[in-house]
Amino acid sequence: MTDTTHTQIPMPSDDSGYRSGWSLFAESSNKFLELKLNKFSFGLTMFLIVLAILAPWIAPFPYDVVDPARGLSAPGWPHLMGTDQAGRDIFSRVLYGAQTSLSIGLVTVLFGLVTGVSLGAISGYVGGWVDEVIMRLVEIFMSVPGIVMALALVSILGPSVPSIILALSIRRITQFSRVARGSVLSVKSQDYVTACHALGMSNARIVFAHVLPNCIGPIIVLASVLLGNVILTESTLSFLGMGIQEPTPSWGGMIAKGNEFLTFAPWISLFPGGFLFLTMIAFNLLGDGVRDHLDPRGGSVV
Amino acid sequence: MLTTVLLRRLIFSIPTLLGVATLAFMLGHMSPGDPAIAAMGLDLEGYSSVEPEELERVREELGLNKPILVQYVGWLTRALQGDFGTSYVSTIEVSELVFEALPTTMLLLVMTMSVSIVVGISLGIVSAVFKGRTGDYIARMIAIIGVSTPTFWFALVLMLCFAVAIPIFPVNGSFDEFGWKAMALPTMAIALHPAALIARMMRSSMLEVLSHDMIRTATAKGLSRWRVYMVHGLRNAINPVITVIGFQFANLMGGAVAVEFIFSLPGLGSLLIEGIYEKDILVIQGAVLVIGVAFALSNLLVDLLYMIIDPRIRI
Repeated sequence: MTDTTHTQIPMPSDDSGYRSGWSLFAESSNKFLELKLNKFSFGLTMFLIVLAILAPWIAPFPYDVVDPARGLSAPGWPHLMGTDQAGRDIFSRVLYGAQTSLSIGLVTVLFGLVTGVSLGAISGYVGGWVDEVIMRLVEIFMSVPGIVMALALVSILGPSVPSIILALSIRRITQFSRVARGSVLSVKSQDYVTACHALGMSNARIVFAHVLPNCIGPIIVLASVLLGNVILTESTLSFLGMGIQEPTPSWGGMIAKGNEFLTFAPWISLFPGGFLFLTMIAFNLLGDGVRDHLDPRGGSVV
Repeated sequence: MLTTVLLRRLIFSIPTLLGVATLAFMLGHMSPGDPAIAAMGLDLEGYSSVEPEELERVREELGLNKPILVQYVGWLTRALQGDFGTSYVSTIEVSELVFEALPTTMLLLVMTMSVSIVVGISLGIVSAVFKGRTGDYIARMIAIIGVSTPTFWFALVLMLCFAVAIPIFPVNGSFDEFGWKAMALPTMAIALHPAALIARMMRSSMLEVLSHDMIRTATAKGLSRWRVYMVHGLRNAINPVITVIGFQFANLMGGAVAVEFIFSLPGLGSLLIEGIYEKDILVIQGAVLVIGVAFALSNLLVDLLYMIIDPRIRI
């Protein structure tokens, strides 16, 4: 196998020696897309995102128009993926469902990233009892399986979008803070941090402007791996009736509805399930690709 | 030596266990509105239907008119003695509900764990030994599909195939009714995801070990391929895999929640979900507490296993 391409350390190729962040990013992403598998996962991800964004224009029917006369019709024309028991078009609902799943996934991961990385950076940089307290809390929250925690929280706070995002992000916060803490610990004793101190910079500036940018690799890797994970948990929540509520379409909720008609109208849950599966494949492969690309030696991060 | 380490590790897990208990306690107090109303399984609209005396009685019983710290200590003392209160919804003791549900979930977890370990490790070894060949591609394909398949959807597909279309297994029902047949589909459904994760870890760990000199030496010594892979390869590659296996408890429990519900298995997951549907806060608290404690204990077990397999590690 051509493993050498992974382990090469990227060296500046031009003579000036100085490279802007953008040109490094462009070169890095070109290299990333050289692999066929990465091309495939990136393409699939983009395709799903475009479908989600364009849902209002592509969808042949509104997602919430009830027409009992057309209820439970099999896939065909004009309902490409059939209809559910209320006569709503499955294809349109799957498209809008993509919007729901992707946006909740993205917001949750971003929220988890910002909160978790800040907590982890503080924990690792300050150390001492602050570190002890934060890491103990993280350990406690990690002791309850994510879906159990999320279910309990949503059931108590009520199934609104903000409480779903909060419930989903708690576990991500703990994961991000662990990774961020580890990276900060490994970076903080390096000479340039000492130099920053000597220059009289504030701790906050050192952490956010100098330490964190050097820890970004593992954090990006974790974010890309967790995206699929969050979407999966959200759909499990919705499947159990504790996530996105009707009439807003969500893949999990659609699969749950179809569960009642599984024997004679399997298309109601098979199509949203299939899209969920495709999304998971896309994000998992993308996450793997990003991990191999940024951290060739690393094992699993989750 | 082992006992000292065990004791130290046990003491270290106490703060975590306490934290989990605190978390479970807080869940009951986070609900918007009156915890007494919440404990009775009513929402704010149900408020008007409750007699004020009845409400006062429940408050008294739950100790809600005492300071929160007193409530907490009281709750914790009772929980330590296995008393999680009496459900206001079903008027059954929560501990009774939990301990009735526990065996089903334990059985399910042990079965899925065994299946996913056996399948995952074998797939991983096949993948590593045949690296770059057909066997590797098939094993990796299975692994990526396994990681990407939503557990609850896979459970539905399995049910559709092997309980509805070809009725080999029951659609739902407990172990008591159908025996092992009742557990087969749920086990398969939950095991897929962890098996795939274990296979991926096994593959990369095994690949690394197989590139070491000692493997060449072992082969040069004239050992059979089987002996080289299974004794020298596996023994050295297994550690990171055990860590991954240890992390699978949360994964399995998460899968069990939805799958127990789908197949109507009377386990902790079903109990939790029913508790959530009925807004039975005490049941939710009890289930979260037991699951959290079980998780902490499973972490302890993994650490011990680690030490037995690799004596160099001392925690």
